[in-house]
Amino acid sequence: MKSRFALFLIVIAIIAGLPWLITTPYWRGILVLCAMNVLLAMSLNLVLGYTGQLNLGQSAFFAIGAYVSTILIKTYGWNFWVAALAAVIAAGFLGLALAAFAARLRGHYLAIASLGFAVITYQVLLNWEDVTEGVRGIYGILPPVPNTVALFYLVAGIAAAVYLLLDNLVRSPIGDTLRAIREDEVSAASLGVNAAIWKAFAFGLGAGIAGLAGAFYPGFVGTLVPDAFGIIESFTMMAMVIVGGMGTMIGPVIGAVVLTFLPELLRGFGELRLMIYGLALTLVVLFMPGGMVQAWVSLKNRLRA
Amino acid sequence: MSLLGAEKLNKRFGGVRAVQDVSIAVPQGAIFALIGPNGAGKSTLLNLLSGIYQPDSGSLSFDEVNLIGLRAHQRVRLGIARTFQKIRLFKQLSLLENVLAGFHIHQDVPLWQCFLSGASGRFRAEALELLAFVGLADRANDRAGALPYGQQRMLEIARALATRPKLFMLDEPAAGLNAAEMEFLLKRLENINKRNVTVVVVEHNMDLVMNVAQRVFVMDHGVPLFEGTPREVQANPQVIEAYLGGEFAA
Repeated sequence: MKSRFALFLIVIAIIAGLPWLITTPYWRGILVLCAMNVLLAMSLNLVLGYTGQLNLGQSAFFAIGAYVSTILIKTYGWNFWVAALAAVIAAGFLGLALAAFAARLRGHYLAIASLGFAVITYQVLLNWEDVTEGVRGIYGILPPVPNTVALFYLVAGIAAAVYLLLDNLVRSPIGDTLRAIREDEVSAASLGVNAAIWKAFAFGLGAGIAGLAGAFYPGFVGTLVPDAFGIIESFTMMAMVIVGGMGTMIGPVIGAVVLTFLPELLRGFGELRLMIYGLALTLVVLFMPGGMVQAWVSLKNRLRA
Repeated sequence: MSLLGAEKLNKRFGGVRAVQDVSIAVPQGAIFALIGPNGAGKSTLLNLLSGIYQPDSGSLSFDEVNLIGLRAHQRVRLGIARTFQKIRLFKQLSLLENVLAGFHIHQDVPLWQCFLSGASGRFRAEALELLAFVGLADRANDRAGALPYGQQRMLEIARALATRPKLFMLDEPAAGLNAAEMEFLLKRLENINKRNVTVVVVEHNMDLVMNVAQRVFVMDHGVPLFEGTPREVQANPQVIEAYLGGEFAA
């Protein structure tokens, strides 16, 4: 418990210090993006890593969070924080809707259904022009705080708080229940677990967190277009979770940091960048099936032996 | 008085009548064995009793509560627990986590507290006791999937006991156990029974059935064949025929 507190202080110190080390506006922007990706990876990890539900629809909740908050602010003049709360609730309820599918579908079937859900959401954003402006996009969106550094502190602070809450959750009896569903649903039912309800809990909470990340996104970029929420985003989130190590708290955080910065660091390679990125992903999955956290643990064990 | 009662249960899979007009009454406090050759419908019957399947027709009650329509997870709250023929542990989790998951229906930590304190609930000590009861106390933090087969069976028993059942049903608990493990299992079953838990055991192993069961229910081809004490079952020509084939029955 004490070491946990110390670790948390170190993380706070790192978050506080990062904008002093990274001073160009471009890289400070990447920092904000990174904090958002950490939130998104954690949100998916709750569903995929802890509850074992193959969910490819997470980008939809990110999108809902972004659009609901922006429309409430721009069209109805809501305060940012109230709008962000509404975004969390809206995304959370949509998560419950997707959970209704998860109650009936398993594995690959759920993956296809949730992918369809993301595609539908994207199409609605694209075509419901009266509300979303479609491809024309929404412009001139202001961030809730005056500059990039403040925005980074805000999003990173929220990500740290969400980390703490989820870390407690997965070590509580609810964590035991979610992992039991992941491991074997029939077995879990034989212990009195109503899997449908707990899947709904995980989907709803995961969707709400993704919606929260979504509320910060439009103010950061300044514009909002549906293309920011293509289904590829779902796969990127999944890559972050898997590369880092799903079913662990720290894994997806590391995955999000690595997969946010890696493409940027590879910019020097020009057109080769995406190929190297893809190759790196493939190699990690091939040689570290449990992700970077698992690789680190086995390396530590080998050195100790 | 019977704790679990079924009248004329039927279950069909396509053209196969897996369970036909089976009526049973499991007496309170008994060790009740369900035997029969392969394909007799024993596991299907157990799945009907535990709620994995719903019967096509028939009635089913436990402790004077109608079970028809209640799903497996709901029946656990009434006090019905079970293990599986093909072991279904949470393989990636530790032994302790497996048993802790078994306390699910007794957890009373409020939701908000789960987000704030990271408390692991109040069942840790009891879970460790259950592990000790099945002889696995020293392996509490090992991964369940890493256990040898016989110990996996015992862990599954400990996990099911965590639900604090009144009725405990085991599907072929002796399958794959060696003689020493069998002996241990017998003792544990008797011990569980002494704690006022009614035990239903589906079994192939005649030693186990004859040694611990007070009543034996024999099935063949989905229909009830005979019910009686172990001694009566052993002497019954119909049962012998079903097990050994017609030519030995004379």
